[in-house]
Amino acid sequence: MVDINKLREIAKEVISRDDVRQVIGYRPGTYGFRARPAFVLEPDDVDELIFTPACVNNLATYITLEEKLPVPRGQEPDSRKVAVMVKGCDSRALVQQMEEKAYDREHLLILGIPCRGVVDMDKVNARFPDVLEKGEIALEGDKFVISFNGTKEEVAKDELLADKCKRCRYPTPLVSDQLLDDEVERFAEDDYSDIETLEKRSQDEKWAYWEEKLSRCTRCYACRNVCPMCYCEDCVLNRIEPMWMRRSVDVSENTAYHIARAYHLAGRCIQCGECQRVCPMDIPIMELNRKFYKDVADLYDYEPGTDAEASPLLSTFSVDDREDFIL
Amino acid sequence: MAETTKMAEDTKTDFDPNIVAFLCNWCSYAGADLAGTSRIQYPPNVRVIRVMCSGRVNPLFVMNALQQGADGVLISGCHPGDCHYMQGNYFARRRFNLMRNFLEYVGIEPERVRMSWVSASEGAKWKEVIEEVVEGVKSVGPMDSFKRRQLNW
Repeated sequence: MVDINKLREIAKEVISRDDVRQVIGYRPGTYGFRARPAFVLEPDDVDELIFTPACVNNLATYITLEEKLPVPRGQEPDSRKVAVMVKGCDSRALVQQMEEKAYDREHLLILGIPCRGVVDMDKVNARFPDVLEKGEIALEGDKFVISFNGTKEEVAKDELLADKCKRCRYPTPLVSDQLLDDEVERFAEDDYSDIETLEKRSQDEKWAYWEEKLSRCTRCYACRNVCPMCYCEDCVLNRIEPMWMRRSVDVSENTAYHIARAYHLAGRCIQCGECQRVCPMDIPIMELNRKFYKDVADLYDYEPGTDAEASPLLSTFSVDDREDFIL
Repeated sequence: MAETTKMAEDTKTDFDPNIVAFLCNWCSYAGADLAGTSRIQYPPNVRVIRVMCSGRVNPLFVMNALQQGADGVLISGCHPGDCHYMQGNYFARRRFNLMRNFLEYVGIEPERVRMSWVSASEGAKWKEVIEEVVEGVKSVGPMDSFKRRQLNW
């Protein structure tokens, strides 16, 4: 695991630089095992920074989420860098954003954290319900060590590990200015077995499955807001004219919303799993995104978020693309 | 009970599907026009929307058409290499290959979303395409899975 003192030392060094505006990292939450994003502006604030398996958030979201206020006349915009701590999966979001030219590489200072996996908070809360005092989670070997309220418990890694980490193919950040730890070797593979079982069902079964899941959606748009790739300033969902999907919460509009959301991530989703994590209704959103991820890999041999120099999938074409579906 | 099942089966095969066709201005629209002027008979279920290029067709158009009561959608453009705008149909091909696979995954039958290349001289091919699309949509029945429903307050 990352040495906490080394992490704070590097963060302090970085925030003391003149060309760095802020460091985005993690700090302990207010209760339970949670960690939350920390925005460090002063060198004195680095002491709250942590990195544990509870640090599930994808901080790449905040790079594009930051509101750019108009600058008063005669003043220059703040061009100092933003330093951000990223795990392997989060670094791919940065790569994909740069591939889409959302900002320049010079805008960022990337502190890469080689990651051995994070927990799924739902699994932790199911196993240790109603922990209100602050607890800690650490990864030792292939066990999570959970300590709270004076007790210490060891749980096998597989039991609490987030699903996305079980098929993580890039544990070490693909892009970074400084690595905070030694590189981690790939420890998992993705076989798309979950998608393939769904694909094999009949059309009626598929629709019955998705109708049940999507009818739960309350259209809170948390999945859109948390997504590091959803950074359009003018989102189709906010448009009144044309109104592609209505605001009403019913099966038809919910399905339309989820089709549109997933399609907008076709060839862009980098499998960080944030949408599914934040979903209050437990909709398996990643099963939608992963279908595109699999198709894009199968049909066009393209993997999002691995090469900042590549062109985005849907803004390029090849003359030899498959067309066996065309009449 | 038996009667209603039989009725359901009847409506599945004997219904008049609504098919929305997005045709590119330069090839397919002219092809459909040629079929008309040549008095070629084809099923009257198609509602044509003319767009400047098949690359203009947004996947949201398809989704919206299905929501508003279309039983099937056809996107038709120039043959690869013949696009008036050089590359529009190549982009469309990528988009709708993904879209079709995805809709199939969600449970919308792939027969509902079709794509074809019809050039301005292929009035006869236009007839064949429409016949196949109508047949395909008829085989999967009316679209009612995620059609927008009018509420009676």
